[in-house]
Amino acid sequence: MPDSQALAALCEAILAIAGEPVRVETLAEVAGEGVTAADIEGALEVVATRHRQAGSGIMLERVAGGFRLATRPEHESAIRAFLGARARGRLSQAALETLAIVAYRQPVTLPEVNFLRGVNSASVMRTLMEHKLVRVAGRKQVVGTPLLYRTTGEFLVHFGIADLSELPDPEGAEETVTGGGGAG
Amino acid sequence: MDTAVALSGETTPRPSVALPAFEGPLDLLLHLVRENRVSIWDIPIASICDQFHATLRRMEELDLEIAGEYLVVAAWLLAIKSRMLLPRRGDGEEDPRQELVERLAEYEKVKAAAAVLAGLDEMRRGVLPVTLEGPASDGDQVPLEEIDLVSLAGAMRRVIERYRREHPPPMELPPLRFTVREKMQALFELVRGEQAFPLLSHILTRPDRLEAVTWLLAGLELVRLGVVELHQQVLFAEIFVTATGRPLPAEEVADA
Repeated sequence: MPDSQALAALCEAILAIAGEPVRVETLAEVAGEGVTAADIEGALEVVATRHRQAGSGIMLERVAGGFRLATRPEHESAIRAFLGARARGRLSQAALETLAIVAYRQPVTLPEVNFLRGVNSASVMRTLMEHKLVRVAGRKQVVGTPLLYRTTGEFLVHFGIADLSELPDPEGAEETVTGGGGAG
Repeated sequence: MDTAVALSGETTPRPSVALPAFEGPLDLLLHLVRENRVSIWDIPIASICDQFHATLRRMEELDLEIAGEYLVVAAWLLAIKSRMLLPRRGDGEEDPRQELVERLAEYEKVKAAAAVLAGLDEMRRGVLPVTLEGPASDGDQVPLEEIDLVSLAGAMRRVIERYRREHPPPMELPPLRFTVREKMQALFELVRGEQAFPLLSHILTRPDRLEAVTWLLAGLELVRLGVVELHQQVLFAEIFVTATGRPLPAEEVADA
Protein backbone atom coordinates (compact mmCIF):
# COMPACT_ATOMS: atom_id res chain seq x y z
CA MET A 1 0.00 0.00 0.00
CA PRO A 2 1.70 3.20 -1.14
CA ASP A 3 1.92 6.24 1.08
CA SER A 4 -1.23 8.22 0.29
CA GLN A 5 0.40 11.55 1.24
CA ALA A 6 3.22 11.02 -1.24
CA LEU A 7 0.77 9.70 -3.79
CA ALA A 8 -1.34 12.83 -3.31
CA ALA A 9 1.66 15.03 -4.02
CA LEU A 10 2.44 12.96 -7.11
CA CYS A 11 -1.12 13.24 -8.43
CA GLU A 12 -1.14 16.97 -7.80
CA ALA A 13 2.08 17.41 -9.75
CA ILE A 14 0.70 15.45 -12.70
CA LEU A 15 -2.56 17.41 -12.67
CA ALA A 16 -0.66 20.68 -12.49
CA ILE A 17 1.18 20.03 -15.73
CA ALA A 18 -1.75 18.30 -17.43
CA GLY A 19 -4.03 21.34 -17.50
CA GLU A 20 -6.87 19.09 -18.58
CA PRO A 21 -8.80 16.30 -16.90
CA VAL A 22 -6.70 13.18 -16.27
CA ARG A 23 -8.34 9.82 -15.74
CA VAL A 24 -7.77 7.92 -12.52
CA GLU A 25 -6.48 4.94 -14.52
CA THR A 26 -3.88 7.16 -16.19
CA LEU A 27 -2.71 8.48 -12.85
CA ALA A 28 -2.44 4.95 -11.49
CA GLU A 29 -0.42 3.94 -14.53
CA VAL A 30 2.16 6.71 -14.20
CA ALA A 31 2.33 6.46 -10.40
CA GLY A 32 4.22 3.20 -10.65
CA GLU A 33 3.70 -0.48 -10.11
CA GLY A 34 1.29 -1.68 -7.48
CA VAL A 35 -0.70 1.55 -7.41
CA THR A 36 -4.38 0.85 -7.93
CA ALA A 37 -7.21 3.13 -9.02
CA ALA A 38 -8.50 2.94 -5.46
CA ASP A 39 -5.14 4.22 -4.17
CA ILE A 40 -5.41 7.15 -6.58
CA GLU A 41 -8.98 7.89 -5.53
CA GLY A 42 -7.78 8.04 -1.94
CA ALA A 43 -4.83 10.24 -2.84
CA LEU A 44 -7.07 12.61 -4.80
CA GLU A 45 -9.30 12.86 -1.76
CA VAL A 46 -6.21 13.98 0.18
CA VAL A 47 -5.42 16.58 -2.52
CA ALA A 48 -8.97 17.93 -2.43
CA THR A 49 -8.98 18.06 1.37
CA ARG A 50 -5.62 19.85 1.46
CA HIS A 51 -6.85 22.53 -0.91
CA ARG A 52 -10.08 22.89 0.99
CA GLN A 53 -8.43 23.11 4.38
CA ALA A 54 -5.73 25.50 3.17
CA GLY A 55 -8.40 27.82 1.77
CA SER A 56 -6.63 27.55 -1.57
CA GLY A 57 -7.67 29.48 -4.66
CA ILE A 58 -7.26 26.23 -6.53
CA MET A 59 -9.56 23.26 -6.30
CA LEU A 60 -9.61 19.70 -7.49
CA GLU A 61 -12.64 18.95 -9.61
CA ARG A 62 -14.07 15.89 -11.27
CA VAL A 63 -14.98 16.71 -14.86
CA ALA A 64 -15.28 14.87 -18.14
CA GLY A 65 -14.44 11.50 -16.69
CA GLY A 66 -11.26 12.67 -15.02
CA PHE A 67 -9.79 15.05 -12.48
CA ARG A 68 -8.18 18.41 -12.97
CA LEU A 69 -6.98 21.41 -11.01
CA ALA A 70 -8.96 24.58 -11.60
CA THR A 71 -9.40 28.01 -10.11
CA ARG A 72 -12.19 28.46 -7.62
CA PRO A 73 -15.31 30.15 -9.06
CA GLU A 74 -15.41 32.92 -6.45
CA HIS A 75 -12.37 34.65 -7.92
CA GLU A 76 -14.15 35.17 -11.21
CA SER A 77 -14.14 38.97 -11.24
CA ALA A 78 -10.44 39.22 -10.34
CA ILE A 79 -9.51 36.58 -12.89
CA ARG A 80 -11.57 38.37 -15.50
CA ALA A 81 -9.92 41.68 -14.63
CA PHE A 82 -6.52 40.02 -14.92
CA LEU A 83 -7.20 38.24 -18.20
CA GLY A 84 -8.97 41.19 -19.79
CA ALA A 85 -9.94 40.36 -23.34
CA ARG A 86 -8.72 36.78 -22.93
CA ALA A 87 -11.44 36.02 -20.38
CA ARG A 88 -14.30 33.98 -21.75
CA GLY A 89 -17.58 35.66 -22.42
CA ARG A 90 -21.08 34.45 -21.73
CA LEU A 91 -22.83 32.14 -24.15
CA SER A 92 -25.66 33.84 -26.00
CA GLN A 93 -29.23 32.77 -25.43
CA ALA A 94 -29.29 31.28 -28.93
CA ALA A 95 -26.12 29.34 -28.19
CA LEU A 96 -27.48 28.13 -24.86
CA GLU A 97 -30.75 26.94 -26.43
CA THR A 98 -29.00 25.16 -29.26
CA LEU A 99 -26.47 23.63 -26.90
CA ALA A 100 -29.26 22.54 -24.55
CA ILE A 101 -31.04 20.73 -27.38
CA VAL A 102 -27.85 18.95 -28.39
CA ALA A 103 -26.96 18.13 -24.77
CA TYR A 104 -30.33 16.75 -23.72
CA ARG A 105 -31.37 15.10 -26.98
CA GLN A 106 -28.15 13.93 -28.53
CA PRO A 107 -27.54 12.77 -31.10
CA VAL A 108 -29.63 15.38 -32.86
CA THR A 109 -29.78 16.86 -36.35
CA LEU A 110 -29.83 20.52 -37.33
CA PRO A 111 -33.41 20.33 -38.75
CA GLU A 112 -34.54 18.95 -35.40
CA VAL A 113 -32.85 21.84 -33.62
CA ASN A 114 -34.37 24.32 -36.05
CA PHE A 115 -37.83 22.84 -35.49
CA LEU A 116 -37.54 22.89 -31.70
CA ARG A 117 -36.27 26.45 -31.58
CA GLY A 118 -38.49 27.69 -34.39
CA VAL A 119 -35.51 29.44 -35.99
CA ASN A 120 -32.63 28.46 -38.22
CA SER A 121 -29.73 27.58 -35.95
CA ALA A 122 -27.06 26.72 -38.51
CA SER A 123 -24.74 29.61 -37.65
CA VAL A 124 -25.18 29.08 -33.93
CA MET A 125 -24.31 25.41 -34.37
CA ARG A 126 -21.22 26.43 -36.30
CA THR A 127 -20.15 28.72 -33.47
CA LEU A 128 -20.65 25.93 -30.94
CA MET A 129 -18.50 23.68 -33.12
CA GLU A 130 -15.80 26.36 -33.22
CA HIS A 131 -15.91 26.56 -29.43
CA LYS A 132 -15.50 22.75 -29.44
CA LEU A 133 -18.62 22.35 -27.32
CA VAL A 134 -20.37 20.36 -30.06
CA ARG A 135 -19.09 17.83 -32.57
CA VAL A 136 -20.40 15.94 -35.55
CA ALA A 137 -21.13 12.30 -34.76
CA GLY A 138 -22.12 10.64 -38.01
CA ARG A 139 -25.24 11.01 -40.10
CA LYS A 140 -28.84 10.15 -39.44
CA GLN A 141 -30.10 7.44 -41.79
CA VAL A 142 -33.12 9.38 -43.03
CA VAL A 143 -33.79 11.29 -46.23
CA GLY A 144 -30.92 13.70 -46.86
CA THR A 145 -28.78 11.92 -44.22
CA PRO A 146 -28.37 15.04 -42.06
CA LEU A 147 -25.38 15.33 -39.75
CA LEU A 148 -25.84 14.23 -36.17
CA TYR A 149 -24.48 16.43 -33.40
CA ARG A 150 -23.23 15.51 -29.96
CA THR A 151 -21.62 17.38 -27.13
CA THR A 152 -17.85 17.08 -26.60
CA GLY A 153 -15.59 16.41 -23.66
CA GLU A 154 -14.91 20.14 -23.65
CA PHE A 155 -18.62 20.65 -23.04
CA LEU A 156 -18.38 18.54 -19.87
CA VAL A 157 -15.33 20.49 -18.73
CA HIS A 158 -16.98 23.83 -19.49
CA PHE A 159 -20.04 23.01 -17.42
CA GLY A 160 -18.16 21.08 -14.77
CA ILE A 161 -19.83 17.71 -15.11
CA ALA A 162 -18.21 14.31 -14.98
CA ASP A 163 -20.45 12.71 -17.60
CA LEU A 164 -23.76 13.32 -19.38
CA SER A 165 -25.74 11.51 -16.69
CA GLU A 166 -24.79 14.36 -14.36
CA LEU A 167 -26.64 16.91 -16.50
CA PRO A 168 -29.14 18.57 -14.16
CA ASP A 169 -32.78 17.69 -14.72
CA PRO A 170 -34.35 20.67 -16.48
CA GLU A 171 -37.85 19.49 -15.49
CA GLY A 172 -37.26 20.87 -12.02
CA ALA A 173 -36.11 24.18 -13.43
CA GLU A 174 -39.06 24.23 -15.80
CA GLU A 175 -41.41 25.23 -13.00
CA THR A 176 -39.56 28.47 -12.41
CA VAL A 177 -39.36 29.17 -16.14
CA THR A 178 -43.07 28.57 -16.66
CA GLY A 179 -43.77 30.94 -13.81
CA GLY A 180 -47.42 31.91 -13.59
CA GLY A 181 -48.41 29.45 -16.30
CA GLY A 182 -51.17 27.98 -14.16
CA ALA A 183 -52.88 31.31 -13.62
CA GLY A 184 -54.82 31.17 -16.88
CA MET B 1 -58.48 40.23 -24.68
CA ASP B 2 -57.92 43.48 -22.82
CA THR B 3 -54.20 43.13 -23.17
CA ALA B 4 -54.56 42.57 -26.87
CA VAL B 5 -56.49 45.77 -27.31
CA ALA B 6 -54.09 47.70 -25.16
CA LEU B 7 -51.10 46.32 -27.00
CA SER B 8 -52.41 47.01 -30.48
CA GLY B 9 -53.51 50.48 -29.40
CA GLU B 10 -49.96 51.24 -28.31
CA THR B 11 -48.40 50.55 -31.65
CA THR B 12 -48.56 53.98 -33.23
CA PRO B 13 -47.65 56.52 -30.55
CA ARG B 14 -44.66 54.83 -28.96
CA PRO B 15 -42.01 53.91 -31.50
CA SER B 16 -39.16 54.21 -28.99
CA VAL B 17 -40.42 51.43 -26.77
CA ALA B 18 -37.76 48.83 -26.25
CA LEU B 19 -38.86 45.40 -27.35
CA PRO B 20 -37.34 42.47 -25.55
CA ALA B 21 -35.10 40.45 -27.81
CA PHE B 22 -36.71 37.24 -28.92
CA GLU B 23 -34.94 34.11 -29.99
CA GLY B 24 -37.62 33.44 -32.58
CA PRO B 25 -41.37 33.19 -33.05
CA LEU B 26 -41.74 30.45 -30.45
CA ASP B 27 -39.89 32.59 -27.94
CA LEU B 28 -42.19 35.50 -28.71
CA LEU B 29 -45.25 33.27 -28.35
CA LEU B 30 -44.04 31.95 -25.02
CA HIS B 31 -43.41 35.52 -23.93
CA LEU B 32 -46.98 36.51 -24.82
CA VAL B 33 -48.40 33.46 -23.06
CA ARG B 34 -46.53 34.39 -19.90
CA GLU B 35 -47.35 38.06 -20.14
CA ASN B 36 -51.05 37.17 -20.34
CA ARG B 37 -50.63 34.73 -17.49
CA VAL B 38 -52.37 31.92 -19.33
CA SER B 39 -51.49 28.25 -19.59
CA ILE B 40 -49.90 27.01 -22.77
CA TRP B 41 -52.39 24.11 -22.57
CA ASP B 42 -55.30 26.50 -22.97
CA ILE B 43 -54.14 29.40 -25.07
CA PRO B 44 -56.71 32.12 -25.88
CA ILE B 45 -55.65 31.85 -29.51
CA ALA B 46 -57.49 34.90 -30.89
CA SER B 47 -55.95 37.22 -28.32
CA ILE B 48 -52.46 35.76 -28.59
CA CYS B 49 -52.68 35.82 -32.39
CA ASP B 50 -53.60 39.50 -32.35
CA GLN B 51 -50.80 40.34 -29.95
CA PHE B 52 -48.35 38.37 -32.06
CA HIS B 53 -49.29 40.38 -35.13
CA ALA B 54 -49.22 43.60 -33.15
CA THR B 55 -45.69 42.84 -31.99
CA LEU B 56 -44.59 42.13 -35.55
CA ARG B 57 -46.02 45.47 -36.64
CA ARG B 58 -44.10 47.16 -33.86
CA MET B 59 -40.91 45.42 -34.86
CA GLU B 60 -41.53 46.73 -38.36
CA GLU B 61 -41.95 50.25 -37.04
CA LEU B 62 -38.70 49.91 -35.12
CA ASP B 63 -37.08 48.92 -38.42
CA LEU B 64 -36.21 45.53 -37.02
CA GLU B 65 -35.64 42.90 -39.61
CA ILE B 66 -38.34 40.30 -39.24
CA ALA B 67 -37.12 36.83 -40.03
CA GLY B 68 -39.24 34.63 -42.26
CA GLU B 69 -39.85 32.26 -39.36
CA TYR B 70 -42.00 34.91 -37.65
CA LEU B 71 -44.17 35.30 -40.73
CA VAL B 72 -44.66 31.53 -40.98
CA VAL B 73 -45.85 31.35 -37.38
CA ALA B 74 -47.99 34.47 -37.85
CA ALA B 75 -49.79 32.78 -40.74
CA TRP B 76 -50.07 29.57 -38.78
CA LEU B 77 -51.66 31.44 -35.86
CA LEU B 78 -54.19 33.03 -38.21
CA ALA B 79 -55.07 29.59 -39.58
CA ILE B 80 -55.58 28.21 -36.10
CA LYS B 81 -57.63 31.25 -35.14
CA SER B 82 -59.96 30.79 -38.08
CA ARG B 83 -60.32 27.07 -37.43
CA MET B 84 -61.20 27.85 -33.82
CA LEU B 85 -64.17 29.86 -35.11
CA LEU B 86 -65.56 26.83 -36.89
CA PRO B 87 -67.88 24.58 -34.94
CA ARG B 88 -66.32 21.25 -33.91
CA ARG B 89 -67.63 18.25 -35.73
CA GLY B 90 -67.31 15.76 -32.89
CA ASP B 91 -65.26 14.32 -30.04
CA GLY B 92 -62.71 12.67 -32.31
CA GLU B 93 -61.51 15.93 -33.81
CA GLU B 94 -58.28 17.26 -32.45
CA ASP B 95 -58.01 20.74 -30.99
CA PRO B 96 -56.64 23.10 -33.74
CA ARG B 97 -54.15 24.36 -31.17
CA GLN B 98 -52.76 20.88 -30.51
CA GLU B 99 -49.60 21.10 -32.61
CA LEU B 100 -48.88 24.64 -31.46
CA VAL B 101 -49.21 23.61 -27.84
CA GLU B 102 -46.90 20.67 -28.33
CA ARG B 103 -44.27 22.80 -29.97
CA LEU B 104 -44.53 25.44 -27.29
CA ALA B 105 -44.25 22.80 -24.59
CA GLU B 106 -41.18 21.38 -26.27
CA TYR B 107 -39.69 24.82 -26.66
CA GLU B 108 -40.38 25.55 -23.03
CA LYS B 109 -38.36 22.48 -22.13
CA VAL B 110 -35.55 23.74 -24.33
CA LYS B 111 -35.64 27.08 -22.55
CA ALA B 112 -35.60 25.35 -19.19
CA ALA B 113 -32.60 23.28 -20.24
CA ALA B 114 -30.92 26.40 -21.61
CA ALA B 115 -31.55 28.11 -18.28
CA VAL B 116 -29.87 25.20 -16.50
CA LEU B 117 -26.84 25.49 -18.75
CA ALA B 118 -26.85 29.27 -18.37
CA GLY B 119 -26.73 28.84 -14.59
CA LEU B 120 -23.81 26.42 -14.84
CA ASP B 121 -22.09 28.66 -17.38
CA GLU B 122 -22.45 31.66 -15.11
CA MET B 123 -21.36 29.77 -12.01
CA ARG B 124 -18.25 28.47 -13.72
CA ARG B 125 -17.04 31.61 -15.43
CA GLY B 126 -14.22 31.87 -12.92
CA VAL B 127 -13.30 28.19 -13.11
CA LEU B 128 -10.29 27.95 -15.35
CA PRO B 129 -7.79 25.16 -15.74
CA VAL B 130 -4.62 25.37 -13.69
CA THR B 131 -1.57 24.52 -15.72
CA LEU B 132 2.07 25.16 -15.03
CA GLU B 133 2.64 25.70 -18.74
CA GLY B 134 0.25 28.59 -18.91
CA PRO B 135 -1.79 29.33 -22.01
CA ALA B 136 1.01 28.36 -24.38
CA SER B 137 0.88 29.55 -27.95
CA ASP B 138 1.28 26.74 -30.43
CA GLY B 139 4.15 26.76 -32.87
CA ASP B 140 7.13 28.47 -31.27
CA GLN B 141 7.89 25.85 -28.66
CA VAL B 142 11.45 24.77 -27.88
CA PRO B 143 11.87 21.00 -27.48
CA LEU B 144 12.29 21.37 -23.74
CA GLU B 145 12.97 17.72 -23.05
CA GLU B 146 16.31 18.00 -24.85
CA ILE B 147 17.65 20.57 -22.44
CA ASP B 148 19.06 19.23 -19.17
CA LEU B 149 20.75 21.10 -16.37
CA VAL B 150 24.26 20.06 -17.41
CA SER B 151 23.95 21.43 -20.93
CA LEU B 152 22.31 24.55 -19.54
CA ALA B 153 25.27 25.07 -17.20
CA GLY B 154 27.67 24.42 -20.10
CA ALA B 155 25.94 27.03 -22.22
CA MET B 156 26.17 29.52 -19.39
CA ARG B 157 29.88 28.78 -18.93
CA ARG B 158 30.54 29.39 -22.63
CA VAL B 159 28.69 32.68 -22.47
CA ILE B 160 30.73 33.80 -19.47
CA GLU B 161 34.02 32.73 -21.07
CA ARG B 162 33.26 34.58 -24.26
CA TYR B 163 32.30 37.65 -22.30
CA ARG B 164 35.55 37.54 -20.32
CA ARG B 165 37.59 37.10 -23.49
CA GLU B 166 35.96 40.06 -25.11
CA HIS B 167 35.92 42.14 -21.95
CA PRO B 168 39.30 41.59 -20.18
CA PRO B 169 39.49 43.13 -16.74
CA PRO B 170 41.35 46.47 -16.74
CA MET B 171 44.99 46.25 -15.60
CA GLU B 172 45.56 47.74 -12.18
CA LEU B 173 48.33 50.32 -12.03
CA PRO B 174 49.28 51.28 -8.50
CA PRO B 175 50.53 54.82 -8.13
CA LEU B 176 54.31 55.14 -8.21
CA ARG B 177 55.32 55.70 -4.62
CA PHE B 178 59.07 55.58 -5.29
CA THR B 179 60.99 56.88 -8.25
CA VAL B 180 64.42 55.87 -9.44
CA ARG B 181 65.28 59.56 -9.89
CA GLU B 182 64.55 60.31 -6.25
CA LYS B 183 66.65 57.35 -5.04
CA MET B 184 69.52 58.22 -7.40
CA GLN B 185 69.63 61.64 -5.81
CA ALA B 186 69.45 60.19 -2.30
CA LEU B 187 72.13 57.53 -2.94
CA PHE B 188 74.40 60.12 -4.53
CA GLU B 189 74.07 62.28 -1.39
CA LEU B 190 74.80 59.27 0.86
CA VAL B 191 78.13 58.42 -0.81
CA ARG B 192 79.31 61.99 -1.29
CA GLY B 193 81.15 62.03 2.03
CA GLU B 194 83.71 59.56 0.60
CA GLN B 195 82.57 56.74 2.82
CA ALA B 196 81.27 53.45 1.46
CA PHE B 197 77.57 52.91 1.69
CA PRO B 198 76.32 49.34 2.36
CA LEU B 199 73.71 49.19 -0.40
CA LEU B 200 72.77 45.48 -0.06
CA SER B 201 71.92 45.66 3.64
CA HIS B 202 70.12 48.94 2.98
CA ILE B 203 68.06 47.25 0.26
CA LEU B 204 67.39 44.14 2.32
CA THR B 205 66.14 46.20 5.23
CA ARG B 206 63.62 48.19 3.18
CA PRO B 207 60.13 47.29 4.40
CA ASP B 208 58.70 47.85 0.93
CA ARG B 209 59.70 45.61 -1.94
CA LEU B 210 59.11 48.33 -4.48
CA GLU B 211 61.32 50.69 -2.57
CA ALA B 212 64.07 48.05 -2.41
CA VAL B 213 63.89 47.54 -6.17
CA THR B 214 64.01 51.28 -6.69
CA TRP B 215 67.18 51.57 -4.59
CA LEU B 216 68.81 48.80 -6.62
CA LEU B 217 67.83 50.40 -9.90
CA ALA B 218 69.10 53.75 -8.65
CA GLY B 219 72.44 52.14 -7.75
CA LEU B 220 72.76 50.49 -11.18
CA GLU B 221 71.80 53.72 -12.87
CA LEU B 222 74.48 55.68 -11.01
CA VAL B 223 77.03 53.03 -12.00
CA ARG B 224 75.99 53.39 -15.63
CA LEU B 225 76.50 57.13 -15.37
CA GLY B 226 79.95 56.53 -13.83
CA VAL B 227 79.01 58.51 -10.75
CA VAL B 228 79.51 55.63 -8.31
CA GLU B 229 81.24 52.24 -8.12
CA LEU B 230 79.93 49.04 -6.57
CA HIS B 231 82.18 46.70 -4.65
CA GLN B 232 81.49 43.17 -3.51
CA GLN B 233 84.18 40.88 -1.99
CA VAL B 234 82.46 37.55 -2.53
CA LEU B 235 79.17 36.33 -3.84
CA PHE B 236 76.22 37.38 -1.66
CA ALA B 237 78.46 39.58 0.50
CA GLU B 238 77.73 43.22 1.20
CA ILE B 239 77.70 45.56 -1.77
CA PHE B 240 79.40 48.83 -1.02
CA VAL B 241 78.81 51.99 -2.97
CA THR B 242 81.53 54.57 -3.28
CA ALA B 243 81.59 57.85 -5.15
CA THR B 244 83.85 58.17 -8.17
CA GLY B 245 84.07 61.88 -7.76
CA ARG B 246 82.17 62.60 -10.95
CA PRO B 247 79.25 64.98 -10.63
CA LEU B 248 75.71 63.78 -11.12
CA PRO B 249 74.55 65.00 -14.56
CA ALA B 250 71.25 66.73 -13.93
CA GLU B 251 69.71 65.92 -17.34
CA GLU B 252 70.49 62.19 -16.94
CA VAL B 253 68.73 62.13 -13.59
CA ALA B 254 65.76 63.86 -15.12
CA ASP B 255 65.50 61.08 -17.73
CA ALA B 256 65.63 58.26 -15.23
